[in-house]
Amino acid sequence: MNRNGFAGYHPLINFVYFTAVLLFGMFFVHPIMQVISLVSASCYSIMLRGRRAVRFQLLYMLPLLLAAALFNPAFNHAGVTILFYLKSGNPITLESILYGISSACMLITVLIWFSCYNAVMTSDKFIYLFGKLIPALSLILSMVLRFVPRYKDQIRRISYAQRSIGKDVSQGNLLRRARNGLTILSIMTTWALENAIETADSMKSRGYGLPRRTSYSLYRLDNRDKGFMAVMLSLIIIVVIGEVNGENTMRFFPSVQTAEVTPFSILIYAAYLGLCMMPVIQHMMEAIKWKSIASKM
Amino acid sequence: MQESRLEKTNSRFGRRTLVSAFLIFVIIPATILFGVYALDDRKYYFISLLIILYTMLPFAMVFEKRKPQARELIVIAVLSAIAVAGRAAFFMLPQFKPVAAIVIIAGVSFGPEAGFLVGATTGFVSNFFFGQGPWTPWQMFCFGIIGFIAGLLFRKGWLRKKRLSLSVFGGLATFVIYGGIINIGSMLMFTPTLSREALIATYVSGFWFDLIHAAATAIFLFILSKPMIEKLDRIKLKYGLIDR
Amino acid sequence: MEIYRIEDVSFTFPLQARKAIYHIQLTIQSGEFITIGGKSGSGKSTLLRQLKPILSPHGEREGKINFRGLPIEGLDQRQQASEIGFVLQNPDNGIVTDKVWHELAFGLESLGLDQQAIRLRVAETASFFGIQNWFHKSVTELSGGQKQLLNLASMMAMHPTVLLLDEPTSQLDPIAAADFIETLRKINRELGTTIIMTEHRLEEVLPVSDRFIVMDEGKVIVDDNPRKAGEALWHMNHPMFTAVPSPMQIYAGVTQDSSYPVTVKEGRQWLDRYITNRSFVREEAVTAIISSVKQPAVRFKDIWFKYEKNGPDVIKDLSFEVAEGQFYCLVGGNGTGKTTALSLAGGLYQPYRGKVYIGGKNAASMSFKELYQSNLAYLPQNPQHLFVKKTVEQDLAEMLVQSSLTREEKADKVFAISEFLELQNLLGMHPYDLSGGEQQRAALAKVLLLEPRILLLDEPTKGLDSFFKDKLASYLKKLNAQGVTIIMVSHDIEFCAKYADVCAMFFDGSITTSGQAKTFFAGNSFYTTAANRMVRHVWKSAVTVEDVIRRCKNHG
Repeated sequence: MNRNGFAGYHPLINFVYFTAVLLFGMFFVHPIMQVISLVSASCYSIMLRGRRAVRFQLLYMLPLLLAAALFNPAFNHAGVTILFYLKSGNPITLESILYGISSACMLITVLIWFSCYNAVMTSDKFIYLFGKLIPALSLILSMVLRFVPRYKDQIRRISYAQRSIGKDVSQGNLLRRARNGLTILSIMTTWALENAIETADSMKSRGYGLPRRTSYSLYRLDNRDKGFMAVMLSLIIIVVIGEVNGENTMRFFPSVQTAEVTPFSILIYAAYLGLCMMPVIQHMMEAIKWKSIASKM
Repeated sequence: MQESRLEKTNSRFGRRTLVSAFLIFVIIPATILFGVYALDDRKYYFISLLIILYTMLPFAMVFEKRKPQARELIVIAVLSAIAVAGRAAFFMLPQFKPVAAIVIIAGVSFGPEAGFLVGATTGFVSNFFFGQGPWTPWQMFCFGIIGFIAGLLFRKGWLRKKRLSLSVFGGLATFVIYGGIINIGSMLMFTPTLSREALIATYVSGFWFDLIHAAATAIFLFILSKPMIEKLDRIKLKYGLIDR
Repeated sequence: MEIYRIEDVSFTFPLQARKAIYHIQLTIQSGEFITIGGKSGSGKSTLLRQLKPILSPHGEREGKINFRGLPIEGLDQRQQASEIGFVLQNPDNGIVTDKVWHELAFGLESLGLDQQAIRLRVAETASFFGIQNWFHKSVTELSGGQKQLLNLASMMAMHPTVLLLDEPTSQLDPIAAADFIETLRKINRELGTTIIMTEHRLEEVLPVSDRFIVMDEGKVIVDDNPRKAGEALWHMNHPMFTAVPSPMQIYAGVTQDSSYPVTVKEGRQWLDRYITNRSFVREEAVTAIISSVKQPAVRFKDIWFKYEKNGPDVIKDLSFEVAEGQFYCLVGGNGTGKTTALSLAGGLYQPYRGKVYIGGKNAASMSFKELYQSNLAYLPQNPQHLFVKKTVEQDLAEMLVQSSLTREEKADKVFAISEFLELQNLLGMHPYDLSGGEQQRAALAKVLLLEPRILLLDEPTKGLDSFFKDKLASYLKKLNAQGVTIIMVSHDIEFCAKYADVCAMFFDGSITTSGQAKTFFAGNSFYTTAANRMVRHVWKSAVTVEDVIRRCKNHG
C-alpha cells in the first residue's frame, strides 16, 4: 500500500488537497493556470505510478485531448476570427478552436488528477473520513469492499466446479456461455445470501445497533499534518483571492482576452504552482533528507 | 426482529432534517443562481455535479437517521457486491453486464430506498476497482435512480414481479434513464458548451453502446428475475427479514 | 462463581413437533473449559445459541437460563455484546469489514468506546494474539487460520467473561486447528475466561478441557471430566465413542485397570506399564514396494506447473500412477500443491511440461466431452458450489437434462442414486437447508449421475463428524468395488489410514513417499495417526486403533 510521501499524511489533508486541485482544475481557464495544473498533475502521477503513468498519458490522454479539441469547434461557431466555412455553411473560428483546446486541456488535467487521487485516497481513508458523518453507509462500503473479492473468488471456484461436471462457461456458443454465466451468478447469489445471514449474526453478536456507536481509526492529526495543512490552506486562500479578482480567468468570446500579467497575478500563479506541486515538493524534500541521513550513517 | 427499537434517542435527528430542507430550498437554487450569475453560466459540468450530489444527500440522510439494523446493511451490501462481482462473472461477454438488472431486482424486492442505495453503492464501489473519476457521481446517480424508480413503480402496482414486465421496464430504464443521463454527463465533461447539436452527436455516438446495455438488462431480467426474486423471498422468510 | 444455570430448558423450532433440545439441566462455573460433543443434529449448536439470546433462532423456549444468578432475559443488549463472546463456525462469515484493524475495533465501536480506549484495547489484543504483523492487512490476504484467530481476537477485545464457540476449527487444517485450540487454552488459563465450545475433532481439545458434555437427540447423556466421560461412553457402548482420542479407545479396548489416558503421552506411559510384565514382539516397519501398475487409470508423467508465467513452480517434476479401482490419497501440509495436482488430473489446468494420461490417453488431446462424460468427475471442497435448483430432486434431475435418455430412464437413475446415497427423505428439501454431511451426499449424488470411472475428491471429510465420515467411507468403498478409481486430497490422516489403499505424501510440489496406507504411515514419525504415534516404539506397523488393540490382546 502507498503510505509514502503525501499519501502518508492524514486522510483529511489528502481529501482537502484533491478537492481543491480538482475544483481549481475544473474552474480556471487562464492558460498559465491551466499549464501549471496540467504539468503538476502529470509530474505527480509519474512520480506515483512511474512508467505506467507515462504510457497512460501518451496512449489515452493525448488522443483524448485531440478529440476534445476538435469536438468543440464542430458545434460552437461563436467568435469573431473566422478561419473558414464548413460545408454546412457554419463558420470555424479561431476562438472556438482555442476554446476547444482549453476545455480539452481541462478535461485531461482533471482525469490525471483523478489517477493520482486513486493512488492516494484508498478506500480505508475514505471510510475513515466519512465514518462519523455517514456511519451506516460507510460501514456498507467497508462490507462491500470485503465481499467483492470474496465473491470474485467464489465465482472462480463455482465456475471450476461447474466445469468439472461438464458445464463450462468458456465452451459452446454465445447463448450457451451466457446461460452458464447466469447459472454461476445464480449459484453465487444463493451462496452469498445464506452466508450473509451469519455475518449479520456476527455483527449483532458484537453489539451492532447499540446507540452511540463511535468510529475508530488509525489516523491522528499530528504536528506534521498541521503544518502541511496551514501551508496548503494559505495557498488555497491566495488562489481564491486571485479568482475573486478575476486574475485566473480568460475570455474567449467574442474575442480572446486574458487577464493582464501584473505583479499581483504573478503572486497568484506562484501560489497556484506551489499548491499543485506540494506533494512533489514534499516528496523531493523527503528524498534529500534521507540522502543526508544515510550519508551520516 | 428481536433488536429493541427503544434505543432510538438521537439528538442529531432534528438537525439532519433541517439540513435536508435547507439543502432543497436554499442550496440548490443558490447553486443554480451562482452558476448563472457568478460563473457566467459556463460551468455546466461543475453545477450539474453539485446538483447530482445534492440529490443523493437526502437518501443518505434518511437512511442514516433511521439507524438501520445489521440485516438491512447486510442485504444492501450483499446485493451491491453481487452486482460488482457480477461484472466479473461475465468476463467472456464484454458490454454485457448485469448491474442494472440486479439493481432493479433489489428495488422490487426491498423497496425504493434499498434500490437507490444498492445502485449508488454499486456505482461507487465498482469504481474503486476500475478507478474513480468525474463519472463516478453520474453513475451512482443513474444506477441509484433506476433502482429507486423500480421500487416506486412496484409499490404503486405499475410494475409487477413478472419477468416480461420487469424486462421491458429494465430495457427502457437502462436506455432512457441511464443512457439519457450518462450521455449528458459525458458531453458536459467533453465540452463546456451546451448545444443541441453536441447533445445529439453524443447520443448518436453512444447509441449502440446504450442499446447493448439496455438489451443486456432486459435479457438478464428475463432470465434472472424469477430465480433471484425467489431466492430473496426465501431469505426473507427463512430468517424473518420480512417483519419490519 | 456460577456463570450459567440452565434449568429444564427445551427448545422447539417453528412448525416442528419434535423438540431440538430436551429438558437440559446444567450449571457452568466461572473459568471452566467445556467441550460439547455429539453427532450433527444432536442439538449442541442449538443449545449453544440459547446461551446468547440475541443469536437464538426463532422458536419456542421453555425453562430458565440464569446468567450470573439473574435471568438471561434481563441482560440488556450492551451487556450481552460485551459479556458473552461468540465465534462462528465459518471464519469467513464472521468477518464484517475489509481491514484487520477495523475488524478488531468493530465491537468496541458498537459499545461506543472513545478513540483512546479503543486504541489501547486494540493494541493490547493484537499483541496478545500475535496479530501485530498482519495488523494493516486486508482481510482477503489472510489464511483460514488467521481469519478464525481474528474472529476470536475481535471478540476478546470486548473483554467477555464467557466465550462461546460453535465448531470453530471445523473449516481449518489440522495445524491451524491445533494452534487455535492452543490459543483458547491460553485465554482460559491466563485470563480465566470461561469457554464453552462445540466440537467434533476431539483429539486436541479434550486434553485441555475440564468437562466433556455429550449430547444425543437433544439430551445431555454424559457430563463429566474427559476421562470419566470417555469411560461413560464406553460403558454405554455409544457410537460417539469412536470420536474420542485414540489412546482412550485403545485403552478401553484392552483393559479397564486405571484411569483413561487422554493424550498420546499418557497413552504411551500406560502402554509401557501394560507391556512390562508381558511377553511381546517388537515390530519394525516393512517397506513394501508397490509393483508398477499394469493399466493405470490416471498417470502423471514428469509434470511441471505454475499459475503465472513468472510465478514460482507449484508442481515440480511430479510422476505417479493410480491403478484402476484404487483408493488413492494425497496427504500433506497446506500449500504444498496437492489440490493443484488434483485440478491437473481434472483437466482444470494444463501443465507446461509433462503429460497427464487418463485411461492411457493424453488428457491434453482429449475433448471436453471425452473428459467429463462417463469418465472423470470432481467433487469440489464446498459441495454448495454444485447446487443450482430449489430442491435436491430438481438438482439431481438437472444433471441429466442434456442426456438422450427417456423420461422414465432419467427418473430411474435419480431414484437409484438417491437410494444408494440414502437421500430419499431429503429429495424435497432445499439443498441449503441440509446439514453439512447431507449436502456432501447430495453433491456426491450429482457427480455420480455422470457415471464417472474416476472420482476426484477435494477434502471430502472437512467439517464432517465421525459418524458421517464412516458413512462416506462406506459409499466410497462400494464405488471402489464397482471399479471406480478414487483420488482424494485430504488432511485427515486418521481417515486415510483407515480406508485408503495407497497414500502419498505431498511436499514442495511433488510426492516424496508413497505406499500402501499402513506401510506408508508406519514409515512416518510425526505425520501419522495418533494410535501409531502412541505405539510406534513397540509396534511400528500398527496404524489404526484396531491394529493396536489386536496386538495388545495377542500379547496379553
